[in-house]
Amino acid sequence: MPPLTTADVVYADYQAAKPVDPRVVAAMLPYFSTTFANAASLHALGDEATVALEDARARIATVFGAQPAEIVFTSGATEANNLGIIGYMQRNRRKGDHVVITEAEHISVLNIAKYLEKNGFRVSRCPIDLNGRVSLKKLRARITDDTILVSVGWASSEIGTIQPIAEIADMLSGTGVAIHTDAVAAEGLVPIDMSVVPVSLMSLSANDIYGPRGLGVLYVRKGVQVAPVMFGGGQERGLRSGTEDVAAIVGMAVAGEIMAAEMPTEVARIQAIRDRLVERVLSEIPDVHLNGAPAEEPGRRLPSNAHFRFEGVEGEAMILSLRDKGVAAATGSACSSKTLEPSHTLISCGLLHEEAHGSLEFTFGRFSTHDDVDRIMAVLPGVIARLRALSPLYEVASPA
Amino acid sequence: MKSTQYTEKTLEHFRNPRNVGTLEGPNVAVGRVGNPVCGDMMDIYIKVTDDDRIEDIAFQTFGCGSAVATSSMVTELVKGMPLDDALKVSRGDVADALDGLPPIKMHCSNLAADALHEAIKNWRANVKPEDATQTRVDKSCHPRPAAVVEVEIANLDDYRGNGVYTALGDLSELADQRVVVLDTGDRSAQLAIDLTEHTGRVVLMTTGKEPSVTSAVRSALRLSDVKLLTEAQPLELKGEGELERIRVHDLSEDEDYELTADALVVLE
Repeated sequence: MPPLTTADVVYADYQAAKPVDPRVVAAMLPYFSTTFANAASLHALGDEATVALEDARARIATVFGAQPAEIVFTSGATEANNLGIIGYMQRNRRKGDHVVITEAEHISVLNIAKYLEKNGFRVSRCPIDLNGRVSLKKLRARITDDTILVSVGWASSEIGTIQPIAEIADMLSGTGVAIHTDAVAAEGLVPIDMSVVPVSLMSLSANDIYGPRGLGVLYVRKGVQVAPVMFGGGQERGLRSGTEDVAAIVGMAVAGEIMAAEMPTEVARIQAIRDRLVERVLSEIPDVHLNGAPAEEPGRRLPSNAHFRFEGVEGEAMILSLRDKGVAAATGSACSSKTLEPSHTLISCGLLHEEAHGSLEFTFGRFSTHDDVDRIMAVLPGVIARLRALSPLYEVASPA
Repeated sequence: MKSTQYTEKTLEHFRNPRNVGTLEGPNVAVGRVGNPVCGDMMDIYIKVTDDDRIEDIAFQTFGCGSAVATSSMVTELVKGMPLDDALKVSRGDVADALDGLPPIKMHCSNLAADALHEAIKNWRANVKPEDATQTRVDKSCHPRPAAVVEVEIANLDDYRGNGVYTALGDLSELADQRVVVLDTGDRSAQLAIDLTEHTGRVVLMTTGKEPSVTSAVRSALRLSDVKLLTEAQPLELKGEGELERIRVHDLSEDEDYELTADALVVLE
C-alpha cells in the first residue's frame, strides 16, 4: 500500500475525503470500458452489467448485515439523506408531520430540515451535551403523537462523538416512530450491522470506506415506505432513477469487504496514532483543549478523530500556517466557512463563539502512520506560538 | 471562490507580517476594533511626532489570514505619513495594496483601516491606550469593578428547579453540567471557581467589561478554569421542560445569540 503522506504533505483530513484504495481502483477498471453496458439493456452485455450490479449489491448488503433488496444506490450520502428523510416524510405524511433531528447533525441534514419546515412539516432539534452526545431523555421529550421520524447521525463528522443509536432504537421500538441515521462518519470505524440495530433508514458513502466518490447508499429496511425525490427511468425499485454506475458500485463492494476484513486491526492501529497526537498536543502545547468526548472512553468517540481548540488563535490562520508547513487539517472556524458562522456543533456543545473560532481538527485513516504524528508535532507548536505572539487576546486568555 | 483563496501578496504578509507588537510611551495611542466573538480583533498602536506624523506603528491581531495580512499592510502603508493623510487610507486601499481579497473577506476581515482610524481618533481625543483596550486585563491588579447592569430575565421563574439555581448546597449536583454563573460579585465568582472541581464547563457571565470582583478574587479567576463571558446580558431562558439555552444580548456588538447551558446560577 503506498503511503498517502508524501515528502511534501502530511494528510490528516480523512473526514473530508479519503483516497480510493488501489485495490478498489483495480477492481473498478474493467467496468469502465469492458463491462460497460447499461444494466437495464436486454442484450447479453446488459445482462453482464446486471449480474455485476446485483452481485455487488448483495456483497454490500452482507457487509452491513442487510438484505440486498434493502440497498438503494444514490449519488452520495447527501442524496441518501435527502431521499431517506424527505422521501420518508412525504410518503408517510398522513401518519404525522413531525421529525426530530439533533443539533449535532451534518449540514446536509440541517438544511433538509429547513427545507421540510418551508414545506409544511415541523422539525424539533434535540440538544447535545458538553461532549456532543444526544440525551435519550431530551430526545424522548420531543416526541409527540405527530412524530414519524427521528434522524440522528451515528457519529459526528466534526468532533467524532458517537451517538447511542442502539439505545435510541430500543427506546423507540414499538412506538411507530422510524429512525434514520447518517452513518457516514462511523463507517469502517464502528460496527454497523442492520441485523442488530433496528433503524429504518441509513445513509452511507462509498468514499468513506475508501471507495469512489459520487456513490452513496440509502439502506431502506424491508417494509419501510419511502417516496422518490427524483424521477426518471425507475431504477432502484423506482426510488432512485438514473442509470446505475456499475463501476462505482463494484468499487464500493470491494471497499466494503476490505473494510470488514481489516477493521479489527485497523481501528486499533488508527486509534493508537490518534491517541499519540492527543497526548502530545495536550502535554506539549499550553492552553489547548480536546473538544468532544474523552479519547479514553471506548465507544464514545471515533478512533480517528482529534479535535482541539487553542486559546487566543483563530482556525483559518492555523490552517494557512499548517498548509505552508505541509500539514493538511481542518477547522470549524467561521472565517473558513462560506457563511462566516462558526461550527454549529461546537456552539451546541456550549462553546463560546471565540472558542469555536480556535478549533483545529485532525482525522486519521488507512494510510496514516505514527510518522505523521511526529511530523505534525514538529511544526504545530511553532505555528501556535507564532500566532499567539501576533494575538492581542492570548495574553488576556492566559497571563504567563 | 474559497474564502482562503488569497493573493500571493496577502499570503506573504500573513507569513511575514510587518510591525508586529505594541508601543509604549507618552506619544502613543491605540485603536481597537473587532470582537473575539466574530473571530477578528485587532489593536493598532501609533506613535505620533510633534508635527502630527506617524513615527512608528505596531499591531496585534487575532483572526484569519486576511485579518493578519490587512493589519500588516496598513501599518506599512501609513508609516511616516501625516495623520490627515493616514485618515484617508480606506479599506479599499488596503485590499488593493494586497492585490485584492476574496469577496467574502472584504467586509469582515478588512478592519485594519478602521483600527488605524480609531487609533488616530483616540490620539486626537487624548484617549489613553489602556482606556482604548478596556477588555485587556488590568495588569496593575487594581480592582476596577464595572457597574453591574441590573439583570432581569423575563422567564427565570419558569425554570426554577429545572436548571435555575438561586442557592447551591451540594456542588456535585452540577457534575459534568454546563454551568453559567451570573456575576453578582465575589461570592458568585468564588462559587464559579469552586464549581470547576465538579465540571469542566463553568462560565461566569457579566454585563460589565470585567467581573465586579475584588482583586484577590480576580487573580483567582484568572488562574482558574472559569470561562469569562463579558458584556453579556441574559435575556430569556429556553428549553423543553428544562433549561437548555440562554438567549444573550452582546452589549458590545448589540446583537443577540444563544448560549447552550444546562444550569444557570443566580445567587440571591
